[in-house]
Amino acid sequence: MASTQSVVDEGGGEPGPVGRWLARVGRGSETFSRHAYGVALIAWRTVVYLFTGRIALRDVVTQVYWMGAQSMGIVLVTATLSGIVTSQQGGYQFSGSVPLYVLGSVVSQSVILELGPVLTAVVLIGRVGARITAELGTMQVSEQIDALYSLGRDPVRTLVSPRIIAGLISVPLLVAFADCIGMLSGMVAAQATLGLGNQAFLYGARLFWHNWDFLYSLTKGLVFGGVIPLVAAHMGLSTRGGAEGVGRSTTSAVVAMTLAVLVVDAMFPPLMLQ
Amino acid sequence: MADPNVMLDNTAQGGPAVEYVDLFKTFDYPVLAGVNLTVARGEILAVVGHSGTGKSVLLKTTIGLITPDDGDVRIDGQSVFDSTPRVLRELRRKVGYVFQNAALFDSMTVYENVSQGLSDRELREMGREKVTDKVVESLDLVNMDARAVMGKLPSELSGGMRKRVGIARAIIGRPEILLYDEPVTGLDPVNATVVHRLIAKLRQELGITSIIVTHDIEGTLPIADRVAMLDRGRIRFVGTPDEFRASADVLVRAFLERDVPIELEQV
Repeated sequence: MASTQSVVDEGGGEPGPVGRWLARVGRGSETFSRHAYGVALIAWRTVVYLFTGRIALRDVVTQVYWMGAQSMGIVLVTATLSGIVTSQQGGYQFSGSVPLYVLGSVVSQSVILELGPVLTAVVLIGRVGARITAELGTMQVSEQIDALYSLGRDPVRTLVSPRIIAGLISVPLLVAFADCIGMLSGMVAAQATLGLGNQAFLYGARLFWHNWDFLYSLTKGLVFGGVIPLVAAHMGLSTRGGAEGVGRSTTSAVVAMTLAVLVVDAMFPPLMLQ
Repeated sequence: MADPNVMLDNTAQGGPAVEYVDLFKTFDYPVLAGVNLTVARGEILAVVGHSGTGKSVLLKTTIGLITPDDGDVRIDGQSVFDSTPRVLRELRRKVGYVFQNAALFDSMTVYENVSQGLSDRELREMGREKVTDKVVESLDLVNMDARAVMGKLPSELSGGMRKRVGIARAIIGRPEILLYDEPVTGLDPVNATVVHRLIAKLRQELGITSIIVTHDIEGTLPIADRVAMLDRGRIRFVGTPDEFRASADVLVRAFLERDVPIELEQV
């Protein structure tokens, strides 16, 4: 008992190493709970605004253009490169032991089930999520968010909900394009570097193809499309302090969005591929 | 010192416009420590005090932008903090807020910024032409050439112009109460005088109740009906500008004479 006390409490009210560790865990849990509550609240209000038809269509269209159309270039470049790399690494591993046409299946399944949606999400975290946090964070520290409240307007309705809905629309579409381009680039790379013909590549791809896989990929895109703007907006609206605060919340948002996407991604196989 | 809950006799018709009741708020230190204050209809109240004494926090609690730890604010007798979100939105529409740095929306033009002061229903029902008329009318009230500035972004305006656009946005919905947070900070003396005259004009023409948080005593005292001085979260003084000028209170004297009081020298 005495030794436990010395670890937890060093005497005189000062916490010992275990006490400090418990305090850190407590603070971390408190911070996580606070952010989870904030995110859940924004999500709930968006659902309410969506079903009561109080979100301006014009704002949603603007955000779809900005998130979707304007992100198309970087998403397609990423998908092309991921298809090429998967194809070449697969070819290197299969040489001499596995029929090369299996590469078609490896590339298509890798791109559709994982690389297409996750790499698209990672690109959008940097391009879209960080910008949302910085924009809303700047509005917060320059009192523009307070100004909206003072005018009887809810920033969630006017600024956040259109971005979340735009994410839900545009990210699955981007994922669909990324899947197609990733497979296509993998096929071209296999032919150019490994001499695997298109017919053989497609034969291999069809061997383990399920139509469900494409829906699985789009579902991931849909969820990521909601998670990224949701977390980004929450972090932006939680910004405190001046320019330094905006920088801090943007960095935290990128970390939080990346973790959220990876955690959600890890939940997909047990939930949808069993 | 005058009782902070006493309203001006000539403006007391119909009950107080704003009541602060036992307000407490603590951040790292107590910012509001039991503020009681009543603001009469049509009154111009100047709230002064050193930096960090809770003036802006007091202003933000008025419309619920900051929630106090204890106490309440009432607008037209209606509690701000016991209201449903819908009632709170309605209360906020009765109040215009002029922010320290104007807080104009960066991505919107002056026209769009000012029209944001109208409710969604008003914007829908009035149509573009009538909304434009209202925006022009509001910009005229703040002495701005509406046609010349309506299409500009806030970044294309000077500090004084941004402040006036902020006021135009606050008054377009014809609020009963206007809250000014440091309305002349950062402005040159000419523009500061323009803004002070504007505040007086808005009271005269529209009967608007005004609460002005300011450090600019020289410019504000001539237009104010009463002055309230905050010190460490408490009301230190409330009275007319003449009573304020004649006060023997050490902090008031220091404020008027731009001297450092003994209490602050120790800091």
